[in-house]
Amino acid sequence: MVVGVGDGVRGTHREMSSCFLDEETFCQCCQLFLQHSHSLCDGWSWQQVKGSEEGYLRKTTLGTGRTRCNQDQQGTSSDQHQERTFSLSFHDDDDDDDGAVCCIQEESSSVVQYEYHILYSCSYQTPVLYFRASTLEGRSLCLEEVWDSVHPNYRQRLQHRPWDTITQQEHPLLGQSFFVLHPCRTEEFMKPVLKAALEEHRQVNYIVTWLSVVGPVVGLDVPLSYCTQVPEPPHTPSSSPQPPALGTKPG
Amino acid sequence: MADDKDVLRDVWFGRIPTCFTLYQDEITEREAEPFYLLLPRVSYLTLVTDKVKKHFLKVMKAEDVEEMWFDFEGTPLKWHYPIGLLFDLHASNTALPWSITVHFKNFPERDLLHCPSNSVIEAHFMSSIKEADALKHKSQVINDMQKKDHKQLWMGLQNDKFDQFWAMNRKLMEYPTEEGGFRYIPFRIYLTMSDRPFIQKLFRPISPDGHTHTLGDLLKAVYPVAISNDDESKRYQVVIHGIEPLLETPLQWLSEHLSHPDNFLHISVIPAPSD
Repeated sequence: MVVGVGDGVRGTHREMSSCFLDEETFCQCCQLFLQHSHSLCDGWSWQQVKGSEEGYLRKTTLGTGRTRCNQDQQGTSSDQHQERTFSLSFHDDDDDDDGAVCCIQEESSSVVQYEYHILYSCSYQTPVLYFRASTLEGRSLCLEEVWDSVHPNYRQRLQHRPWDTITQQEHPLLGQSFFVLHPCRTEEFMKPVLKAALEEHRQVNYIVTWLSVVGPVVGLDVPLSYCTQVPEPPHTPSSSPQPPALGTKPG
Repeated sequence: MADDKDVLRDVWFGRIPTCFTLYQDEITEREAEPFYLLLPRVSYLTLVTDKVKKHFLKVMKAEDVEEMWFDFEGTPLKWHYPIGLLFDLHASNTALPWSITVHFKNFPERDLLHCPSNSVIEAHFMSSIKEADALKHKSQVINDMQKKDHKQLWMGLQNDKFDQFWAMNRKLMEYPTEEGGFRYIPFRIYLTMSDRPFIQKLFRPISPDGHTHTLGDLLKAVYPVAISNDDESKRYQVVIHGIEPLLETPLQWLSEHLSHPDNFLHISVIPAPSD
C-alpha cells in the first residue's frame, strides 16, 4: 500500500523525497526499468502479488560460482570448525555452540543459477535486493559459497560494515529462504547521488542508480545504457501535505 | 486491576509445555525417549533447545547428525519466528503439550533458514529491533544507543533476564509527548491460509485528526477478512501471545505492552475452532 513521500512540508516535493522512496514511485521506477529491460531482452520481469498492488522485479541468470559444500552438511563440534562466515559481521567468538557448518572441500567453479528479486521495504522506504543461488542439480548454495562468489573487491567493504552484510532471510512475499543485502544503509549512498542530480537538473531513476551500486556486489551487472536510457517517473506534487497513511478513512 | 507493568512480565514469562519426539526415520542406536520442555513464548527455538539436541544425540551416531530442525504436523517450524507465534499460528487449538518432531537430516533448504550458531539468532533479533525502530523513531533511538546497549538487549533475551532487557528496551518504547505515539507501529499479521507468510504495512497509531487507532482499525485497513460482520459467526481468531485482545484496544498500547522483545507486534489470524 502506498504511503507518501515522507513527513514534513517544507521545500519542494522534489527536495522532500531526498533519499527515500515511496512505494508508488518504486513501482513506477520499476516499470520504466522494465521497458528498457525488454528492449535489451536481459530477462527482468514484474511479479504481481495476487490480489494486491504490490509486486517485485525478478530475474534469473546462469553464472559461475564457487561451490565447495558437500551434499551433506556435517554437524561438527565447535572446536573443529570456527563459524567464520558470521564472525565477519559480529566479533564474538565466545559461542561454544555446535552448529552445522559446511564442510570445506576443494573449491571448484561450476555453473550456478542465480535468481534476483527487487522488493520494496516499507520499513526502510528503499528497495531491497533478495537473491538465491542453486546448482543445476537443484542444490541450494550455502552462505559460505555465496560469500565466496562475491568479488574480492567488495568483500572487505562488507566485512567492515556489518549492516551491509549478506544474510539469509525469509522472503516476505514468498516465505522461502533467500539471501539479502541489508537495506538500512541505502540512504548513505543514495543521498549524495540524488542531491547531485537535483542540483544538476539530471534525471535519476532510483532503481537504476540503486541497483548499479548493490547489484555488482552479488554478481548482477547493470549495463550502462540503463543509466542513460531509463527516465525518472513523472513528478506529481502531492495534493495533501500529509502522506495518505492507512487507517484515515472515516468510520 | 492489573498494572500495565504486570502485563510486560506476563508476556515475558509466558511458557508453552512442549514434547519433543525424534522423527521415526532418524537412525538411532537405541530407542529415543521423548523430551519435555517448557518453551519461552518470546524466545526462539534454536536458542532454547540445546538440551533437546543433547538428549537425542545420546542415542545417535555423529555421522547421522546434521543441522537440527523441527516440524509440527509436517510443517517445518521457522526458528526465526518467536516460539509463541509458531504455537499460536500452528497449534493454538490443539491439546497440550505441543508435540514437535525433531529432525537431524534432510534439512528443508528452501523453507528454513540455517542457524549454525547463536550469533545468527542475535543478528536476526537485532535486525528486527532495528527495523522496528526505523518504523517507530526513524532509527534515532537505536542509533543513539551504544554497542553495549544493543548487547544488553540480546543478553537479556538470551539469559531470560527481564530487568536487564527492559532497562534498555524502555527507551525504545518512548515517544515525544506531543506526538501521542510512535511514528508507525511495527507489526506483522501472519496468515495460515495464504502463500504469503505475513502482511506488513505502514500504519500510524494516531490518525491525522487525533483519533487513537485500535486493533480493529488496523485489521480493517490491512486485512479486513479477519473481522467478521455482525450477522455472521466469527470465522477467524486474532491472537497475540495466546490471547484474543479486544478489537477496541488502542494499537499504541498494544505496541508498548504486547510486542515481542524484537519490538514487533506479531499477530496471528487463524481459523476459529468450529465447535
